[in-house]
Amino acid sequence: MNAHHLTARASAILLGAILLASAAAAEGKLAIKAGKVIQGPGLPDIDKGVIVIENGRIAAIGTDVKVPWDAKVIDAPKLIAFPGFVEAHSSRGMDRPNENVDPAPFLSVRDSIDPVNFYFEDSLRWGITTINIQQGNNCVVAGQGMVVRPVGITIDEMTVKTNSGIKLSATPKFGMSAATQAQSLRKAFGDLRRHLEQLVEEKKDGNDRAKREALFQGRDLEGENAKGRAMEGSAWKVAGLEMIPRGEIDEKQAPLLALVEGKMAAFFYCGRPMDVHRALEVARENGFLARTTLVISPACYKAADVIAEAGVPVVLENPVVYVESDPMTGAETEIFVPGELKKKNVRFALSSSNTTTESLWFQAAQCVGRGMTRNDAIAAVTTIPADMLGLGKQVGSLEVGKVGNVLLYSGEPLSVTSWVEKVVVDGNEVYDRSKDVRVKHLLEGKAPAGTQAMGGAGSAEKPVCCDGSDAAEHAKHLEEQEKKAKKDKGEGDDK
Amino acid sequence: MSTILACAALAAVTVAQDSGDTRNSWTVSADVVYTAAGEPIEGGLVTVSDGKIRSVSKGDGGQLECYAVTPGLIDLSARIERDWNSVEQSNEVTPQMRVADALDWFDESWKREARGGITTVMVNFNDRNVVGGMSVVVKTAGESAKSRTVKADAVLYGAIGSAPSSNNHPAFGRPDDFYSRRPTTRMGVEWEWRKALYDAAAAKKDKTRAVAGTSELQKALAGEFPLMIQAWTTQDIRTAVFLKEEMEREGFGSPRLVVDAAAEAWREPDLLVRSKTAVVLPPFTSLGRTGDNSFFAWDTAALLHARGIVVALSGHGSREPSQGLAYQPGYAMRGGMTFDAALAAVTIQPARIVGIDARTGSLEAGKDADLVLWSGKPFEPTSAVIGVLVDGRLVLDPRTSTK
Repeated sequence: MNAHHLTARASAILLGAILLASAAAAEGKLAIKAGKVIQGPGLPDIDKGVIVIENGRIAAIGTDVKVPWDAKVIDAPKLIAFPGFVEAHSSRGMDRPNENVDPAPFLSVRDSIDPVNFYFEDSLRWGITTINIQQGNNCVVAGQGMVVRPVGITIDEMTVKTNSGIKLSATPKFGMSAATQAQSLRKAFGDLRRHLEQLVEEKKDGNDRAKREALFQGRDLEGENAKGRAMEGSAWKVAGLEMIPRGEIDEKQAPLLALVEGKMAAFFYCGRPMDVHRALEVARENGFLARTTLVISPACYKAADVIAEAGVPVVLENPVVYVESDPMTGAETEIFVPGELKKKNVRFALSSSNTTTESLWFQAAQCVGRGMTRNDAIAAVTTIPADMLGLGKQVGSLEVGKVGNVLLYSGEPLSVTSWVEKVVVDGNEVYDRSKDVRVKHLLEGKAPAGTQAMGGAGSAEKPVCCDGSDAAEHAKHLEEQEKKAKKDKGEGDDK
Repeated sequence: MSTILACAALAAVTVAQDSGDTRNSWTVSADVVYTAAGEPIEGGLVTVSDGKIRSVSKGDGGQLECYAVTPGLIDLSARIERDWNSVEQSNEVTPQMRVADALDWFDESWKREARGGITTVMVNFNDRNVVGGMSVVVKTAGESAKSRTVKADAVLYGAIGSAPSSNNHPAFGRPDDFYSRRPTTRMGVEWEWRKALYDAAAAKKDKTRAVAGTSELQKALAGEFPLMIQAWTTQDIRTAVFLKEEMEREGFGSPRLVVDAAAEAWREPDLLVRSKTAVVLPPFTSLGRTGDNSFFAWDTAALLHARGIVVALSGHGSREPSQGLAYQPGYAMRGGMTFDAALAAVTIQPARIVGIDARTGSLEAGKDADLVLWSGKPFEPTSAVIGVLVDGRLVLDPRTSTK
């Protein structure tokens, strides 16, 4: 592995750097004239609205907006402009989503994301313009996620935010019990603590092993990395850490230290209600509760009280309707999970069930169908996930200053008959349904040549012969050929 | 819009199926009543007494209120009771078997279907046998097996394609293995069909050749009830149609063919028009791929309907609340079908296919009081089924439903 590369990333993590890649932003100006502009939750809809995007950002929005003379114009009086959806948590679009190592906080999805994966294409097609990619749920402490836009053929083009947080799971990974999972979680943080204590001990003893190790690995020991800093954070502290230049801390441990010091976000998966307690306990004990988002399965609505008390937001894994089956009678009860969360004032974002028909638009629509207000439902797929990712001021609604991520819908955005006709990301027009061959194929299956009704055993149409003549002719033709063959054979026998 | 939405609190949905409310006379008013028998009625009132619809007219102030009312949905391929117990292993051709004899009236799936707005289903055999047997049309709720049965022996059901032969093999290893049976190929499946039908036709002249199931096959050949064949792919749909046409050419009768799960019917509309074949489509999928490796284009329902082919939609009894029959018309509309045609494809069209349209399938005076109450425009994901009446009995109560 490239040591320099690793080091650069490690420092980016420690600084909690947000990189809103300006390279991808359009340099030019774009004006969208839409039949209606739906700005987002809590904002008024604008009939015949105009959105002007300059350098990738929304520069103006309204009815009385002057379109710059040099702006490219999308004139769409029949379409409805809508903010791009924000996926708060997804493990799609990657090579295998989990590394088979229990604590692997040093890994990053950056190295696993496949920019040409169909997932990203589908995301655009269905209006998702910002995605937090996190490692899969089958983990203990997994790697760091990142926020991407589903545009570009390299990871750098796709990058919105280099580090969106570490993935953890309170649900036993495959083959583990709840107890071993809990033990493994504790061990990850125990190991960090022992490592830090050992560094301090060695430093006191005048042992420079850590420094030699760092130099051997080619780590950067200059600048900030040359300085020691007392341990921050609210949970536990290792005394004397200020003696240790930060560059000397094992890079496999550094991301977890950032978590404990409150400098990194966490996405903690809970597949069962019982896991919620474990996740909150681990987050509390290690001081990152305030930066934790729970990724919960629908059944976890049962722990809504505990979640509400902890004050953490959640990403609800699909579906929004949970079917509880009584183990005694088999009787089923449907529970509308977002409704339960709302009742307890838990802040939640929705997530996609599949990459197409049941992606975020559908989840929000279902919430409306179950009685949630349109505003709340749309917030759960736009502004709330944006806030969760620390991008509340960047994406999630159409407002001046925000990134120019705009969908143009053929009709009401949450209707089953509406299509995303165009997508603008960072002020670039990146999707046009009229040019989308795959969606055309899906929508209008075309019979390949030669498969139209050609007649068969009982066909009322005349079957055609190999030479294009009709079947009666064909039968005669075959008969003649057979005769000829016999004759040929007979002649052959004679000779 | 509706009082329902206004008073809707966000809470757990309890299904009022066991509410004990046994009354079967109601008045239901809605912003729109979609009757599936003519123009929708804005501000409509449906009067129900003793389980039957008495009137459908303009009006308001019903005991039950909602945004929209449609007829109860009908699923001809509900796939209930399709476990292994529903496959008779003594033979691959078992037309004499009646699925009605094996129904579990207490199965939870009835309630699941009912709360999804489905009031009538046809229960068919599992596709492991070539000719499964006789299907039964039943209501999803009701007091007794007798009162719930709409039509016994509604269709003769069987399958073409890979399903009846998949995993089968000649007897080796464990001879008692279920899979130690034939056919083992598509050819074998086709052969079983033709043999069964030719034998049944021959038995018409020579009664001594009749065996169990012969009379069911003869009735299917005579068109007394439809012959419903599951065929996902183009090649299997063609096989089914050619089989029908072969029977006609041989003078054995004129079977009324219905192709179930006709995912690739979009490739052969001409063939279906020519043979007057009706189709039941499987649930739409997100990427088009579906059973038996078939590709199910999203405009299939619209395309077939435009060609005059009788189309019914199905949810295949999906356990996912978001994939049931109530969502299928929406997906058909996304593929270009009109609202009216999509509504018909889950109500009156399936009723016509199995000949129960005099009793159900539309909102007309005298018909069974099978109603679905919606919180918004039907089939949109932003709407929900908030009330269901089956034979006038409330199986999902819009007053307690919190959807």
